[in-house]
Amino acid sequence: MSKILETPYGTRDFLPREAAAKRAIENKLAQLFSAFGYEEVVTPTMEFLETLTNAGGLEIESNLFKMFDQNNRTLALHHEMTTPIARLVMSRLKNSPLPLKLSYNTSVFRFRKNQPDRQCEFYQAGVELLGVSNAFADAEIIALAAQSLKVAGLKDFTICLGQVEFANGLMEENNLSAAAISEIKNFLERHNIVELEKFVDALELDKNAANSLKKIPKLNGGIEILETARAFVKNKKSLDALKNLEEIYKLAEIYGVADKIIFDLGIIRDFEYYTGMVFEAYAPGVGYSLAGGGRYDNMLKDFCPATGFALGIERILQACERQGILGNVQNKNIYIGYNEKNIGAAIKKASELRAEGKVVELSLTPQNFDAAKISQTEKNYDELIYLK
Amino acid sequence: MSTELLKKIGWTAEGLHEKSRKLVITNDAEKLKFIITKTADVPTYVENGAADIGIIGKDVILESGKDVYELLDLGFGKCHLMMAVPKDKKRATLEDYSHTRVATKFPHIAEKFFAARGMQMEYIKLNGSIELGPIVGLSESIVDIVETGTTLRENNLEEIVHIMDATARLIANRVSYRLKFQRINNLVNELEKFL
Repeated sequence: MSKILETPYGTRDFLPREAAAKRAIENKLAQLFSAFGYEEVVTPTMEFLETLTNAGGLEIESNLFKMFDQNNRTLALHHEMTTPIARLVMSRLKNSPLPLKLSYNTSVFRFRKNQPDRQCEFYQAGVELLGVSNAFADAEIIALAAQSLKVAGLKDFTICLGQVEFANGLMEENNLSAAAISEIKNFLERHNIVELEKFVDALELDKNAANSLKKIPKLNGGIEILETARAFVKNKKSLDALKNLEEIYKLAEIYGVADKIIFDLGIIRDFEYYTGMVFEAYAPGVGYSLAGGGRYDNMLKDFCPATGFALGIERILQACERQGILGNVQNKNIYIGYNEKNIGAAIKKASELRAEGKVVELSLTPQNFDAAKISQTEKNYDELIYLK
Repeated sequence: MSTELLKKIGWTAEGLHEKSRKLVITNDAEKLKFIITKTADVPTYVENGAADIGIIGKDVILESGKDVYELLDLGFGKCHLMMAVPKDKKRATLEDYSHTRVATKFPHIAEKFFAARGMQMEYIKLNGSIELGPIVGLSESIVDIVETGTTLRENNLEEIVHIMDATARLIANRVSYRLKFQRINNLVNELEKFL
């Protein structure tokens, strides 16, 4: 027997049924993004390394797939789409009128090991809204994310909303050093409450300040949690962050998606570029987030503020499957079989039906009726037309 | 210890104990399901969301490298991870052990520890009786968990460097923590009263 050729670590094939399910979701999302006025862009799969590491910090570098071009410059496969779109907006689109509303649907690449459902190549669809820094823009992003999960077929999901400025303000209020802030963010991101508490205790702050910092990851709940959080802070930055969330929530109510929102002020997300609201979407039965995003006003430097999100296509497919709502998306209507005499008639019949929009497979050789029946069943066509 | 602690706050089920032969034990009235697994597998169940929460030693969490939320230090199961060598073959400094063989159940933690000191080692992964390594000439040293130190003494080994302290931790899946926050947070608050 010949040796089976494998695919590289972290990559996968989509067989026809899987590819059809993926395509169906991607089409629905593309339609929805366009209905909200977002225009699709396509950027190169590879970028110069410094383009990708510019905003995301150096942490990401060890997870990038890298190679050299003929001049020995380092290239890398894009690991997300926010950074390439930022590059596009600061260069070729820099004279376009703002706001810019852009969408994408592509595969991204990250090297990672030893984690559940974390493929090295995976598919993302998402949008970026550039040039507006108000809560209205953030609410549109949240509403669109919720709507995306709905059109994908998910009924049971939750959007968990936070604001990075809340924790930032609280840390600045206590005059923490840059090193301490980065350490605390690290604990918040990994939600390591045990280490967070130990670290804060070691800082020897006054009791109230220490308690507020320790409380951050536990500020989780409905809209009432914003009131609770207000009691922990005095600084303007944190208070503004809470006000911002309140405004976003009010607009989300009008969009009709507020019932899907819970708040969690401990959400930091793993990219460093977020500067305002951040969110993740979860569904029961899937142990990791389906989508995530937020506001990133500093990435495009003095150029423009921005907000956006990305959806993990494979994860949404998985959630649909686990919630039992992945129907048969393969639309196979008619199989045409024929005998020797009817070759011409069969081609004409197939052309007619295809023009009507039917999915038609025409047998590639003349068959008798029984053979045609077997082919129809094996290939999962709804109907058989036999020309004798 | 875990089941006893949980019992104190009313989280229990009929027939629940850590040596149970039944792998899944349910308490329908309280809507609780207990899963009994090998210790090393606990972070895996929680990371994937097959279990919402778990109780497991810090050493196991670190070695697994799994992405789980760590909610509470339960204080029991206290032990520490250390490096030990045969008493009669002790070298002057830690660096003198560079490029030697170290037998351990915790190759990831050990590698991180030595790498931070600029040392490369040859890691020999064993699943038990780590102390045997130097005795039979499999390795020059061991990195292992110590509770009382008796085993070390009985095998003529001496601790030369302390790597980390470990206790049992309450861990949670990131999605469960958000979707079942009230219940999990109540559990944390209740447990804190007994620590």
